[in-house]
Amino acid sequence: MSAAVTHPESSRLSRGGSGATKGRRVYKRRLSPALLFMAPSAIILGAFVFWPIIQSLYYSFFNWTIGAVDQQWVGFGNYIELFHDPRFWNALGVTLIFTISTVAIVVVIGFMVALLLLRETLITRIIRSVFFFPTIVSLVSIGLVWKFLLDPSIGLVGGLTQLLGITPVAWLQSTHLALPSVIFVAVWRNVGFAMVLFVAGLKGVPVERYEAARLDGANDRQVTAFVTLPSIRPTLLFTTLILTIQSFQVFDLVYVMTGGGPLFVTDSLVNELYREGFVNFRTGYASAISWVLFAIIMIISALQLRFFRYNDVD
Amino acid sequence: MKSKIAIGIGVVGIMLALAACSGSPSTSASSGKVDLTVWTGFTGGDRPGYAQIVTDFNASHPNIHVTMTVQPWDTIQQKLPSAWLTGQGPDLATPSSDPNAVAQYVKTNSVLPITNTGPGSTQINVDKLAPGTVKEFTYNNKLYAVPANFATLSLYYNKKAFAAAGISGPPTTVAEFAADAKKLTIGGGQTQYGLALADNQTIQMWPILQWLEGGDIVDSKNCSVVQTAAGQKSLKTWSDMVVNDKISPVGLTGAEADSLFSAGKAAMEMNGPWAAPGYKAAGIDLGIATIPVGVNGKVTLGATAPLSISAKTKYPAQAQEFLAYWTSKSVQQKFSLSTGFPPLRTDLSDDPKLKTDPVVSVFAAQVPDSRLYLPGVPNATQVDANGYVPLIGEITRGQSVAGSSAAIGATINGLTGCKS
Repeated sequence: MSAAVTHPESSRLSRGGSGATKGRRVYKRRLSPALLFMAPSAIILGAFVFWPIIQSLYYSFFNWTIGAVDQQWVGFGNYIELFHDPRFWNALGVTLIFTISTVAIVVVIGFMVALLLLRETLITRIIRSVFFFPTIVSLVSIGLVWKFLLDPSIGLVGGLTQLLGITPVAWLQSTHLALPSVIFVAVWRNVGFAMVLFVAGLKGVPVERYEAARLDGANDRQVTAFVTLPSIRPTLLFTTLILTIQSFQVFDLVYVMTGGGPLFVTDSLVNELYREGFVNFRTGYASAISWVLFAIIMIISALQLRFFRYNDVD
Repeated sequence: MKSKIAIGIGVVGIMLALAACSGSPSTSASSGKVDLTVWTGFTGGDRPGYAQIVTDFNASHPNIHVTMTVQPWDTIQQKLPSAWLTGQGPDLATPSSDPNAVAQYVKTNSVLPITNTGPGSTQINVDKLAPGTVKEFTYNNKLYAVPANFATLSLYYNKKAFAAAGISGPPTTVAEFAADAKKLTIGGGQTQYGLALADNQTIQMWPILQWLEGGDIVDSKNCSVVQTAAGQKSLKTWSDMVVNDKISPVGLTGAEADSLFSAGKAAMEMNGPWAAPGYKAAGIDLGIATIPVGVNGKVTLGATAPLSISAKTKYPAQAQEFLAYWTSKSVQQKFSLSTGFPPLRTDLSDDPKLKTDPVVSVFAAQVPDSRLYLPGVPNATQVDANGYVPLIGEITRGQSVAGSSAAIGATINGLTGCKS
C-alpha cells in the first residue's frame, strides 16, 4: 500500500496489466524458442560462412601457408605486395570490364525482352521459359558447351562459318576476342534472369499511371523514361546489384572457358585468387585479394544504392 | 510444456548441425583388417591400369584393403592440403600431376618420409626406380614420394595424312620434323595442321622443341637461358613456323590439341601413352614413333606423378607396403603392358615382353634420354604459369622472341632466385 502511495510510477506500472515487466517476460518466453529454432542455421552459417570470413581476414596479415608450422606475420605486407602486383591490376581491370559490360548489356537486353514478352499468352510464356532456361544450368556446363561450340577447328560455330566461306575465328585463343566471348556467354546466361525480374516489376506498375501519361500527351519514349523506369526502380536496383555482385565474383566461366588466358586477358580477380591460393599455395596473399574484392563490392553496392536513391519506401 | 518441446527440437537441430560438421575417419580397422584410402587424379585412358593394381593388391593382401578414389587433378589440388592438415584426408594420394608440387607438402610437414626401402619383396626398391624420379622426390636426403608412373612423350602421327602427303614414315631428325610439319599443313591449317602444339593447361610440349634445337629454359643454377642466343634460336625456329607457316593453331590447351588430332585435323602430336586409347577410339590410323633426334642427340620430356603418404596416416607401415607393391617388378610389368606406359623400374628396361610390345617399346626406348620439366627448380609451378606459358603465348602470337624472352627471363630469374 505504502508503495502505491510513495511510488506512484511503480503503482502506475503495476496497474497497467503487469506493464513492461510482463511484456519482458512474454518477450523472453517467445525469444528463447525462437533462438533455439534459429540455432542450427546460426551454427551452420557461423561455422561455414562467418568464421571463415573472419579467419581469411586474419590470414591476410600472414604469409600463410596451409599446414605450415610457422606462419610469418607480415602485417599489411600482402596488401602492399598486391598493390605492386601487375597481375592484380590486370585482373582488376579485366573484372571491371567484365562487370560493367555484362551488367549494362544484360539490364538493357533483359528490359527490352521483358517489354516485348509482357503480354500473357502461351507463346510469350514459352519464350520466357526459353530465355530463362540458361539461368538454371550450371556455369561450368555452360562454359564447357560454349568452349566446344566456339572451337575454331571442331566447333559448331566454326563449322557453320566455314560453310559460309568465312574463315573460322579462334574466339577463345585470340587476345582480342577471348574476353568479349566470355562476356557474350555471361550475357546469354543472365538475360533470362533479368527478363523475369523485369516482367515481374513491370506487371506491378499501376495501369492508371500509363493512362494519365497518355492523357497528358506523352509518347512511347516519354512513357518509358518518365513512367516505366521510375516505377520499376526497386527492380532495377535489385537486378543491377545482384548482377554486379555476381559479375565481380566471376570464376567458373573463366576457369572453364579460358583458364584466365590467353596471356591473362580474361584473368579475373577470383581466378587470380584461386591460382594464388590453390596452385601457388599462398593462402595469405589469396585472402588479401578476397578482402580487396569484398571492399570493392561493398563500395560499388553502396554507390548503386545511392545512385538509385534507395530508401525505406523501396 | 511448449517451451520444453521447442528446446528439445532446438537441441536435436544443434546435434544434427554438429553431425553435419563432423567427418568420418579416413581409415578404420575392423576385424584386424586395415582400410587404406587413396586419392588419385588418373582420369584418363590409363585409369583401368591403376585400378587393376589396387584390385590385385586387395586380392593378395587379406589384411589390408585399399579404396582408390579418382578425381580431377584440380579437385585434388583444392582439397588435399586442408584435408591432410586436418587428418580427414586419405592415407595416400597423388597430390598433383606436377612432380614439383611435393615440395609444398614437404614444407608443410604433410607427407611422411618413406623409410621402408630396400631390396626385400615388401620394401620399396629405390635403387631400381628411375634415378631422376627418386632425386625429384628427395628433400633433405629423405624420400617423400614414389613415382606413381613414369611416362615419356612420343610422336603420334596420322598414317593416312602422311600417306596423302606422300611421306613414307615418321620424321627421324628435327630437320625432317620441321619439314614434315610444313608439308602436312594444308590450306593454312583450315584443312589440316601439320602439328597440334598445346602451350597451356597441358603437359609441356615446347621444351622438347627447344631441346631438339639445342636450347633450354633454365641452367644448372636455375637461371633463365631462354634469352640467350641458343635459347632464342630454339624458340624462334618453331614459333616462326607457327606464326608464318601455320603449322599449328595458337593457344591450344592440351585437351584441345588432343581433340584436334582425334578429329583428324592435325597430322602429328607429341603426347604421352595415356592418349593412345582415345586416338584409337576416335578411329585415327595411328602411328607412334620416338621423338626425332635433335641437334644434340635424342631427347624427350619425361613426366611422373608423385604418390605420397599422409603424415597423419594411422597406418604408415601398411601404406608403405602398398607403395612397395605398386612399384614392384611384376606389378609394373603388368601395368606397362596394359597401359602402354614405360616401366618406372630400370630392371624392366630389357624385359622381353615389354620390348616386343609395339606401344610400350616406343615409350620405354626413350626413358634413358628423357628429361623432366623444370626438375628441382624453386617455384617451378609459378615459373611455368607466370614465365614459360606466357612466353610461348607471346611469341606464337607474333611478338619478338628477343623482347619476350628478355622480359620473361627476368621474371623466371626472380621466381627461381637466380642471382647472376
